[in-house]
Amino acid sequence: MAGEPVSLEPNVLIEAYKKDVDRTLLRENLKLTPDQRLDKLQDFVRFATELREAGRRARS
Amino acid sequence: MTPVRTDFSRLLRVLLDASVEFILVGGVAGTLHGAARATYDIDVVYRRSPENMSRLVAALGPYAPYLRGAPAGLPFSFDVVTLRQGLNFTLTTTLGDIDLLGEITGGGAYDDLLAQSASIPLLGTICQCVTLDGLIRLKRAAGRPKDLEAIAELEALRAESGQ
Repeated sequence: MAGEPVSLEPNVLIEAYKKDVDRTLLRENLKLTPDQRLDKLQDFVRFATELREAGRRARS
Repeated sequence: MTPVRTDFSRLLRVLLDASVEFILVGGVAGTLHGAARATYDIDVVYRRSPENMSRLVAALGPYAPYLRGAPAGLPFSFDVVTLRQGLNFTLTTTLGDIDLLGEITGGGAYDDLLAQSASIPLLGTICQCVTLDGLIRLKRAAGRPKDLEAIAELEALRAESGQ
């Protein structure tokens, strides 16, 4: 399943998507430790889940 | 049905504390490298040795692992026999969602992927995580259109981090 090594050469499609990447977010994340990055993800997921639950309650 | 909110730290700690041999891949690996994209589950490639599968079962067993998205009441038993007879498992637990991968497209099994992983400090211990280049290779190998944006972000991240 490992198969042939996958090339990391530039790919036209991927290059097109790169224009939309918010690099400021990446730069901020690079200043954090792995633990801080995980905490940030957890905070986002908590917020997103609460938002989704609130939406569901509002519809019911 | 109440959505499961994955507790990333607790779920990872459960595996780390039990000395389960695994390599973190997927969205959480991207997060640890600095990606900003959200993910809602943990993906790991686990070593399929009998000892490690026993550790995995003992570690996750108390958290009621069950097939994610499957109807309730199926005769699913999370034990070593089940792990041995299967390969990749998409599970939900009381701590959140986790994908246990015996093999991954483009990366192979745990021992194959080890060379494309690194030890990173996490949760006061060391966690084996696929490298940024390794993660990009896995995503490219998967060939899913939905991954194009994620790959673009990871490649931009590589450029920003000077790798």
